[in-house]
Amino acid sequence: MILLFFLMLAGYAFGTIAAILSPDGPAVRRWTATGAVVGAGAGLALALGVFVTRVPFVLEASALLSVGDGLVFRLDPLGAFFLALVGLVALPCGVYGAGYSETYEGRHSLRLLGAMLNLFLLTMSLVPCAANVLTFLLMWEGMSLTSYFLVMTETDEPDTIRAGGWYLAMTHAGLVLILAAFLLLAAGADTSTFRDLRAAAAALPPATRDAVFVLALLGFGSKAGIVPLHVWLPRAHPAAPSHVSALMSGVMIKLGVYGILRVGLDLLGGGPAWWGALLIGLGALSALIGVLYALMENDLKRLLAYSSVENIGLIFIGIGASALFLSLGAGAAAGFALGAGLYHALNHAAFKGLLFLGAGSVLHATHTRDMNRLGGLIRGLPWTALCFLIGSLAIAGLPPLNGFVSEWLLFQSLLPGIVSPAPLVAPLMTLAVGILALTAGLAAASFVKAFGITFLAIPRSTAAERAHEAPMSMRIGMGILAVACAGLGLAAVPVLSALSAVFAGRAGFPAAPAPLSAGISLSTPAAFARMSPILVAVGLVAVTAGVWLGVRIFGVERRLRVADTWGCGRVMQTARMEYTATAFAEPLRRVFAELYRPTKDLSIDFHPESRYFVQSIEYRSEIVPWFERYLYAPVIARMRLWASHARAIQSGSAHAYLTYLVIALLGLLTMLLVQGT
Amino acid sequence: MRLFSKIFQIGLATEPLAPGGDEVVRLLRTVDAEVRRMFGRALAIREVDAGSCNGCEIEITGLTGPVYDSERFGIHFVASPRHADMLLVTGPVTRNMAVPLLKTYEATPAPKLVVAVGDCARTCGVFAGSYAVAGSVDQIIPVDAFVDGCPPEPTDILRGILAAIGRR
Repeated sequence: MILLFFLMLAGYAFGTIAAILSPDGPAVRRWTATGAVVGAGAGLALALGVFVTRVPFVLEASALLSVGDGLVFRLDPLGAFFLALVGLVALPCGVYGAGYSETYEGRHSLRLLGAMLNLFLLTMSLVPCAANVLTFLLMWEGMSLTSYFLVMTETDEPDTIRAGGWYLAMTHAGLVLILAAFLLLAAGADTSTFRDLRAAAAALPPATRDAVFVLALLGFGSKAGIVPLHVWLPRAHPAAPSHVSALMSGVMIKLGVYGILRVGLDLLGGGPAWWGALLIGLGALSALIGVLYALMENDLKRLLAYSSVENIGLIFIGIGASALFLSLGAGAAAGFALGAGLYHALNHAAFKGLLFLGAGSVLHATHTRDMNRLGGLIRGLPWTALCFLIGSLAIAGLPPLNGFVSEWLLFQSLLPGIVSPAPLVAPLMTLAVGILALTAGLAAASFVKAFGITFLAIPRSTAAERAHEAPMSMRIGMGILAVACAGLGLAAVPVLSALSAVFAGRAGFPAAPAPLSAGISLSTPAAFARMSPILVAVGLVAVTAGVWLGVRIFGVERRLRVADTWGCGRVMQTARMEYTATAFAEPLRRVFAELYRPTKDLSIDFHPESRYFVQSIEYRSEIVPWFERYLYAPVIARMRLWASHARAIQSGSAHAYLTYLVIALLGLLTMLLVQGT
Repeated sequence: MRLFSKIFQIGLATEPLAPGGDEVVRLLRTVDAEVRRMFGRALAIREVDAGSCNGCEIEITGLTGPVYDSERFGIHFVASPRHADMLLVTGPVTRNMAVPLLKTYEATPAPKLVVAVGDCARTCGVFAGSYAVAGSVDQIIPVDAFVDGCPPEPTDILRGILAAIGRR
């Protein structure tokens, strides 16, 4: 265990140092990837080891830092799950990055990118290992800062600077709230280790516990990207290099979920029913808002970012249901819901990582993210198209891939709540089930759009026409995650059983969880429903093969004739006649017009001689960004106002500053005097 | 309300079948039987106006009108050649329509039948030799049967359809 732990540290540290020391060029890319792959592999092995043996890995290095109680690491099954998540996505992303970062050669510093990537992975891997407040906050902040530098890679784009600003502001606002939560929590504890916090939390008054939970929820929620704290995701994820987007969207936002689980369920040991209800409510809101905005997006990576908001919402519904059932005393249902939520987190890491890498290949080949300038890429990039298709099918929840299994499990985990006798639980759960169903349908629609508009039909620009397949390293990266998507779906039975037991025996979860499988099929706690992912997969393959064979054996003579797409007999068909991304989403834009409030702006430029000759038509349509306009704009305006007032203190005169120093000193001395007496 | 009062005032407006109409109905039944034998279902027709004066179109519309109502015998007109078994082509083929006609023919799934309706479709009629005309229908796509007349009556069109089916 300890060897693996140090191998992980050594791998990332090696990647960082080698990237800094080696000369800019292909060597940096190679060393960066080597470090990341070794570190991620060791991390994955360590996590699996803890998961299988169920023996926590403990390492105390108090002497390393003299502040507080030094650096303390303890990896329990919950932490191990999230460490495995990091490893699962970091490994393919490391391989992918070797090829992808070639685009930056000569334009941006590859050494900075490589070093920051490895540091980011290092701190991100250590967040779930941390076992005291100091270690946790150090790693958390390290993760936030390094990812900020990664977002800021393409500094020549004006959007990147703005995106970085949003990200930095949101993540630090979150950090303040997390800090406040830990301060409240640590008030009665001897040391700041999680063990002592856990012991002290039981004695806290209910109001303090509620405050800690809400602060932690908002603080970690800003990292997870729940509505209304999601505004940085659609800005920062597209701006970052694609393998970094995959890591941020696939893994980093999940650590927000980890924080909430760690504080809410582990340290506080669960709470009243409204905690769970709040989680479900925020989750349902995020899922719906996220998918509705994803549907309207024409920027491929922004679409994926909004879809991450949606999936974080689904995960929140799962863990919220778990917390709710826990407070109602239904331990088995709680374990099942937690397993479903975590399983969806794992699956989302796999398919969203895959989709971001696919989008990265598209970007690498065409240098545009605007879907209205793409199209027809399936001919130039067949492998990328296949991988992106697998990711789209998985995220749309189609069998036999992993997304289908975890969405089915989420449904099943909510259903026991519908018959709950507790007041208000049944309507809440019914609503959540309805929103889950609507979200699943809309998610499928937005990924039909993402895949169809990007990869099918005629190219809409010369860049798309000349697109070339991604290099081998990028294809390997995508391939690993595509296989993971299929594998996680088929291996649902062991994975779910392990995940629903991460809290076994703690915080009111049953020590010996009810079996969630019967043979090769999944089975819900009260044997309410059963489903076997393997049999579904076998059935699908059998039906497909049967139809194919049937056509071959009994089919009439089949002569293949290749002809043009029917275009009403037009002499020429151009890309301008195609369905655009905007047009594809138009029907749903009308259905949800109340939310989107689309603006239309049509300007026609006529020929000066006659109005019958149109020279150009320009059509613009935008949807109302509710959160930015009505929530953030007033806050930002108020902050600016205060800042301008505060500027009066900062006169620039050294005399004034000396006066401040004296006043502060006198104040402190008086405080000491008062306390001394 | 105006609609109802109008219905009351006018009453039943359907005319009895004109003399010779029985022949059309008899032919429709024959076509129905033949099509069933050949396709096992209704016949789907795509009409292509390749430059006609619309005289032929009026007669073809007569087939689907309330007097003969060819739909009840399983002869129906469809909106895309992708759905069609048969093309009814009218008029001399103009230069502008030559390529679209060819594309329509290519877009029609096999087995497909082509019936050229009207004198113009066979000989270009009074438009022959015009600079705007590319040629007769059979110079552009293979034709299974021709229907003569300017314009041909519904009976003639049905006979043409039968002839085309009979060639298979």
